[in-house]
Amino acid sequence: MDFSWLANPSYLAYLWQGFVNTLILVALSGTAGFVLAVGVALAQIVGPRPLRWLARGYTTVIRGTPLLVQLFFFYDGVGRLLPLIPGVRESFLWPVLRDAFFYGVLAFTLSVGAYVGEVLRGALASVPVGELSAARAFGLSGVQVLWRIWLPRAIQICLPTLTGEVILLLKSVPLVSTIAVMDLLKAANLVRDETFLVYEPLLLVAGIYLALTLVLTTGMRALEVRFPGVKPGRV
Amino acid sequence: MPEAVPAARGRDVAVRAVDLEKRFGPLEVLKGISFEATEGSVLSIIGASGSGKSTLLRCMNLLELPNRGDLFIAGEIIHFDRGRDGQATGLDRRQIQRLRAKVTMVFQQFNLWPHMSVLGNVIEAPMQVLGLSRREAVEIAEAFLERVGLADKRHEYPAFLSGGQQQRTAIARALAMQPQVLLFDEPTSALDPELVGEVLAVVRDLAEDGRTMLLVTHEMGFARDVSTHLIFLHAGRIAETGPPGQVFGNPESERCRQFLSSVA
Repeated sequence: MDFSWLANPSYLAYLWQGFVNTLILVALSGTAGFVLAVGVALAQIVGPRPLRWLARGYTTVIRGTPLLVQLFFFYDGVGRLLPLIPGVRESFLWPVLRDAFFYGVLAFTLSVGAYVGEVLRGALASVPVGELSAARAFGLSGVQVLWRIWLPRAIQICLPTLTGEVILLLKSVPLVSTIAVMDLLKAANLVRDETFLVYEPLLLVAGIYLALTLVLTTGMRALEVRFPGVKPGRV
Repeated sequence: MPEAVPAARGRDVAVRAVDLEKRFGPLEVLKGISFEATEGSVLSIIGASGSGKSTLLRCMNLLELPNRGDLFIAGEIIHFDRGRDGQATGLDRRQIQRLRAKVTMVFQQFNLWPHMSVLGNVIEAPMQVLGLSRREAVEIAEAFLERVGLADKRHEYPAFLSGGQQQRTAIARALAMQPQVLLFDEPTSALDPELVGEVLAVVRDLAEDGRTMLLVTHEMGFARDVSTHLIFLHAGRIAETGPPGQVFGNPESERCRQFLSSVA
């Protein structure tokens, strides 16, 4: 095992950038995707029919196609077509639209929106009716029932599943190394190319992912304990 | 035609129902219910399952909308008529919410909100619906939690409480709105037998306090003790009504006699 390359500041800089990019990617697409998921879930449960169909179609397409294909589709397809629209190159958004990172965030956001949307839909449907009746019986308005009782309760119910979704999101990040985003895998591959070391950089990346997953799991577990839906230790 | 509960002298009417009818599709659940409850009275509704007791109670805070009839409760006057969709006419959402803030309910299954602490459950509606500040709401909540004997549990989550404690929390939640009428829908039916007593003690305490309460219950001994009046429902109609001594001691209807002997 040769880890002497870690002493090289430029390799460390790659890895650091990859690490930071990974965290930003997860944070941004996780947050935006969750907001989208709430909309998708609500559209399917309480939305008018056209919106319901739209949400269902979106979910079906995103869940039915590989994330890597979607990533290429947005980066190579949409990313190449956009500059053909007059004015796009001159717009203030161009620095964002030009960046591969943006397409990574876009693809992951849409993915999270679809998968978590389905999880939330199920969770919303499984909130006991009596709890919602109680909220109405105390004079809460429909909007208040939704934001104060229904949605928080649904999130509580599906918290363990959400943990899994966040971990899956985290581990999808290396896919962006294929569209020229500097993530941990991309950094490791640069190191491998220059040092001819096969395993060591990969081992390091695997170790970092494992550590991140542990941190995530611990954090989410703390949330589950903080807001227990059922008494711990009881089936 | 059963006569309305006579109003006690010098007391204002808190609830008056006139000819309430409720249908679920082809099923007629309430077939013209009329009664009156004066302020400070405890009216118990008894009857076999399926007789319409819970539906009648749920009509009082409009969790069910009657198809027909008139309801006067907590200062709100509502005339129900069957519109094309069976909805009540002349009823707007604001009025429904206003009424519900004044007529709160304790449910058979407690229906606490499990993602909130005991205190969170009790302050939720006062803050969201009455617009109280957190400080005011907490002050009121703590007083009522004290009253139901749960002051020390206020930061606990419902999942960690016994059924009796959950139901007492639910009672504190209903009291914290300082309602004009308190509804109890079989408050002890979902409890283990050894926990029934602690909840009944709280309800009895409130009854002696002179709160206007409507109570659906299967606890006949309790109903007899705390009620000022009773209604016996049979097949969607009031088959017997009167003070407990009369209903239990000398019921006029054969139905009521049969029912009482079957549950005794």
